[in-house]
Amino acid sequence: MRFKIGIDVGGTFTDFLLTRSDGQSQTYKVLSTPKDPSIATMQGISDMARDEGMTLKDFLRAVDVIVHGTTVTTNAVLTYRGAKTGLITTQGVRDALEMRRGIREEQYNNRYANAVPLVPRYLRLPVTGRLDYAGKEITPLDEAEVRSNVELLKKEGVQAVAICFMNSFANRDHEDRALKIVRELMPDAYLSASVDVLPSIRFYDRVSTTVLNAYVGPILRRYLQNLLKKLDEAGFPNVLLIMQSNGGVVSPRLAMENAATTLLSGPAGGPVAGIVYAGVQRYDDSITMDMGGTSFDCALIKDARPFTTTVGEISRLRLALPMLNVVTIGAGGGSIGWIDEGGLLRMGPQSASSDPGPACYGLGGEEPTCTDADLILGYLDPDYFAGGRMKLYKDKAEKAILEKIGKPLGYDLHEAAAGMYRVINVNMAAAVREVAVQHGQDPRDFPLVVAGGAGPNHACMIARELENPVLIVPRESSIFCAAGMLMSDLKHNFVRTYPVLLKDADRKTFQRLFEEMKKEGTDLLDSEGIGESEIVYRYSLDLRYVKQYHEVEVEVSAEEVGLFNVLAMAAKFHPAHNALYGYSLEEEGTPVELINMRVVCIGQTEKPEFQQQDFAGEDPSRAYKKDREVYMPLQKEFRKVPVFDGLALRFGNRIEGPAIIEQVNTTTFVTGEFNVLTDRYGSFTMYLKDREDEVKRRILA
Amino acid sequence: MSVQIDKVLVSILQRRLKSITEEMSIALTMTTRSPILCEAKDFVTGLYDAKGKMLEQTENLPILSFSLGPVCEYIVKYFGDEIYPGDVIFHNDVFSMGNQNNDVAAYKPIFHKDSLVGWAACKGHQADIGGAVQGGYNPNATEVWQEALRIPPVKVYEKGKLRKDVWDLIFANIRLDIVAEDMKAEIGSCVVGERGLLRLVERYGLEAFEAHKEYLFNSTEKMMRAELRSIPNGVYHGESTCYYDGKNPGSEYTIRVKITVEDEEIRFDYSETDAQTTGFVNGTYTSSASATVLTFLQMVNPDIPHNDGMVRPIKIIIPVGTILNAAYPAATTYGNHLCPNNADAIMRALGPVIPDRVTAEWNELLCSLTTGIDPRKKTPYVDIGFMGLKGGSGAIRGFDGYDHIGMIDASGGVLDQDYEMFEQQTPHLLLKHEYWQDSAGPGQWRGGLGVETEFVIGSDNTKVVTFGDGDVEPARGAHGGMDGTLNKIELTYPDGKYYLCTTKDLIEGVRKGTVYFQQAGGGGGYGDPFARPAEKVAQEVRNGIISLETARRDYGVVVDPETLQVIKDETKKIRSARPVKVL
Repeated sequence: MRFKIGIDVGGTFTDFLLTRSDGQSQTYKVLSTPKDPSIATMQGISDMARDEGMTLKDFLRAVDVIVHGTTVTTNAVLTYRGAKTGLITTQGVRDALEMRRGIREEQYNNRYANAVPLVPRYLRLPVTGRLDYAGKEITPLDEAEVRSNVELLKKEGVQAVAICFMNSFANRDHEDRALKIVRELMPDAYLSASVDVLPSIRFYDRVSTTVLNAYVGPILRRYLQNLLKKLDEAGFPNVLLIMQSNGGVVSPRLAMENAATTLLSGPAGGPVAGIVYAGVQRYDDSITMDMGGTSFDCALIKDARPFTTTVGEISRLRLALPMLNVVTIGAGGGSIGWIDEGGLLRMGPQSASSDPGPACYGLGGEEPTCTDADLILGYLDPDYFAGGRMKLYKDKAEKAILEKIGKPLGYDLHEAAAGMYRVINVNMAAAVREVAVQHGQDPRDFPLVVAGGAGPNHACMIARELENPVLIVPRESSIFCAAGMLMSDLKHNFVRTYPVLLKDADRKTFQRLFEEMKKEGTDLLDSEGIGESEIVYRYSLDLRYVKQYHEVEVEVSAEEVGLFNVLAMAAKFHPAHNALYGYSLEEEGTPVELINMRVVCIGQTEKPEFQQQDFAGEDPSRAYKKDREVYMPLQKEFRKVPVFDGLALRFGNRIEGPAIIEQVNTTTFVTGEFNVLTDRYGSFTMYLKDREDEVKRRILA
Repeated sequence: MSVQIDKVLVSILQRRLKSITEEMSIALTMTTRSPILCEAKDFVTGLYDAKGKMLEQTENLPILSFSLGPVCEYIVKYFGDEIYPGDVIFHNDVFSMGNQNNDVAAYKPIFHKDSLVGWAACKGHQADIGGAVQGGYNPNATEVWQEALRIPPVKVYEKGKLRKDVWDLIFANIRLDIVAEDMKAEIGSCVVGERGLLRLVERYGLEAFEAHKEYLFNSTEKMMRAELRSIPNGVYHGESTCYYDGKNPGSEYTIRVKITVEDEEIRFDYSETDAQTTGFVNGTYTSSASATVLTFLQMVNPDIPHNDGMVRPIKIIIPVGTILNAAYPAATTYGNHLCPNNADAIMRALGPVIPDRVTAEWNELLCSLTTGIDPRKKTPYVDIGFMGLKGGSGAIRGFDGYDHIGMIDASGGVLDQDYEMFEQQTPHLLLKHEYWQDSAGPGQWRGGLGVETEFVIGSDNTKVVTFGDGDVEPARGAHGGMDGTLNKIELTYPDGKYYLCTTKDLIEGVRKGTVYFQQAGGGGGYGDPFARPAEKVAQEVRNGIISLETARRDYGVVVDPETLQVIKDETKKIRSARPVKVL
């Protein structure tokens, strides 16, 4: 027997998916250990070995690959516990990092302070030396000044050094020379040069991203070295891969060099998993939504590819690396309900998190949360929460909801809980709509892939708000991201800036830049054991109409690049602009301008095979548990509905809504508008009743 | 109407309206070309009901914001029953409720079945709007026609069909072709708003939409009234001075506001304000009323939704013929920039009454605009110097001012150009854009820092236009806090000669190689600077934003120049020499 393991370290739980070569799979959840996250990781692996009846050493020898997603870099930034970092930058612009272009996100709030910079001003050291807009040297680099600055940083005990010079995207010479000096004087420091991290135009984006990379570099390096050592000592001889924010995986060595690529990797496994679960039912497009304890993540997938963005932020700091575009809002089981000054009901973004948690946990929480409302409405069973391992206190939920919501609104308990349920559903639907609109898509056209402990409870009503007819609840929905990690490929992104009218672009320069990036990617993947023939290259251009400021990324084919077919490349831009922003200027003959060129190099990994079930007929009665009183949000009344054991449902089993499906870590509420069909991998598809034929065709065929 | 009000639906409605106007804002940012719009976001997007009442707005630059509603009401009356599906209406006219000539709005009526249910609108600062000077700022203007093309409500689309003749008439009078492109982007943004609002109306039904909208207005009004109840009843006076009208050196004009708070209503009466100028330093009713609203909104709960209910308890009286509401056909392009002066008058009136909610004063705006032909591309460019204008905000009890935020009328909603994009889009070379040491007004909470900006002008025959104030009177400190610093812009020509710009200047024929230098001042401090923790002062000395001398003189903190640590006994000696009030 051979195994693969996906591990997702979250704030509260570390999730595991173990897949076996016989197609069986098993999920695990272990409480996270924030001080040293590798403890929970090793704990989970030991649990698996035990359940397989093997010694840890024998088990690890049979594990081909471990894919690991970690939030150590994310947390280092969120809590400002990264490395002491210095910045060497061009004379005159050292404050760009802190100024953030002068934004105050809350315009009317005079108590809203600026984000604290990751490098304080006294460690942001300017040097003489200047390149012009095209990369031509105007003032030579003063190497003696670089030296004295590095000595200063060394004296200050800096562990990481970031280097970012004006216009270095067009000429890396000055940064290379500065790098050499730092390497010589501070051989142990973590180095991060903007020409390596993000060689593209826009100074603030570049300096912010380069500094983030430096700030978390030593943290990730320490963490991964520790984990590798533990795995090595336990006898693991095979491959460890690390999840990145771009939805791909990477070797630990490269992850350490480009630590910032892991910064928003937490939710990045979700869209990858979404592609697979929706793909099984032959959907190329989908929206994934993952509702956990404090946050709700959603992402858009089109043509079996997730959308990416380069305008990410963490803690209000710009992170401009390509990453999956995941929209995150503060909505989860722990979201607190409150009444604003105008007497309107609001939910979140504050969360009761796990300490003290929702009122019904009985751990001292007094605020009414989403979980409390779900319990009152009957969607959760107080005796079967986390499979019965945790008791919920209905009386405490009642008290909190009545006092804080019911009384001020003049509502009874059920009206108040139902109101909370509706408001949070609308908040989540708005996030989904936002991610769709950002890419010019209509969310109604996409099936929703629903994940997270709390997601399936709310999914039908979110779908109703968005007018989506089909939802998929994966069998592994509670450890969705861990599953996605096992399905990810090795992936490296490259960018070069070449600002020119597309029609005036120089063929040689154009092709040389693409070749350079391709070679870099090929070399990296080679070092990760992927041969050139197994690599997929994707080329794209950031284009805009002349004089516009923002670009649209347009994918181009290898042939178009090879033939330098400028017309064909421009022709792809016009419809993309139209889809996004409602118009194109093709007919007017407006010239198209090139800004950035990008290459993604993908090294395909071997994916786990999940076991398929045999068709078991429509009748779900062997999974029937009992009836329960549940609140019907449309009829606004309680009704008895059947409760099913999700793990006992088999391929082909069909349930008519309203119903409840319980799994150990997830409860699915099916409203009366929907029916459910179980697919061959044990996932549930919920669909509006009039879509029955279509869904059956997809699932049963 | 017999619709049962569902309070939860009211919450939903508010959230949806807000997110639609945000979507409109994203669309406009991503498609416009003028850096004023796509980089600096000098625009606003909004939704209005069938009568033109504000439903919700996304206000990147609030000074533009509170005139979209009044103009919408005006348009509804103007076209009467000749408003059709597929119409698009442009407007900028300051004598029919527009706020500034350059701020050109697009309005699109939204029809559900056959009835008008609302409007989508957006308005952005256009790079040119005709008149005598490219970019619109013309200190020599005395009447509106020297400043701009007037656009009273005009249909550029009717029933979905482009009125090519009207379109061409408008854009034949505007220098830069990107303006037509940016107006197309405004229309696109309105389409995004239209789709969103229609989806909402279709989802809940028109009757329910109308009833719940009314309830939302009422609940917002209730929120605002609750805020007003917390301000003591009374009549409060405040005034501030505007320096230099662009024509008469040494001229001064006083803004006088009488604020009456009576139970749950507030009235701003500007009747005693000085008469209008003969130049372009004049407000319009809506620019001045917007300034009043946005200043006041900073003193109340920032979570109040922005809809018609919010403004109901606020009354504003600005007589025609004053500097804040100039009579036809005065020049008024400067009018938006009277906002900082207006804000000062209001803050001086209310600061003593609600000291916890009013900041010390903000740095006044001083902005510049450079135009010319980029020798690298042989094409014209216009650059509004957003990065240079960003001074500091005033401190407030408990919090330092915000560094490098810029004028109070944007409050951090308008962004710097990115440095590298600046060097691509203009021929200039940036030498410096950094915090200005010692610019912040000292205080227990210090003012926000100002900035210094320096660049080499890269084109011959360049035109430099300046507009603003703040070179005579700094941002004042409050409750024992000290003042910020003054603004200035100066040019050093290639021959070494030096020119100090006035605050409303037009300098032509500036040569390549001229060095442009600007200081945007810091904000005022709040509370006695001796009450600021000495460690904090030492930390700012280490960071180079406070000098050793200032630390000693203004904060009474002695810092060792070598170790940059506080020298405790010397500090104690200075600080105990006079009584210190710690807030």
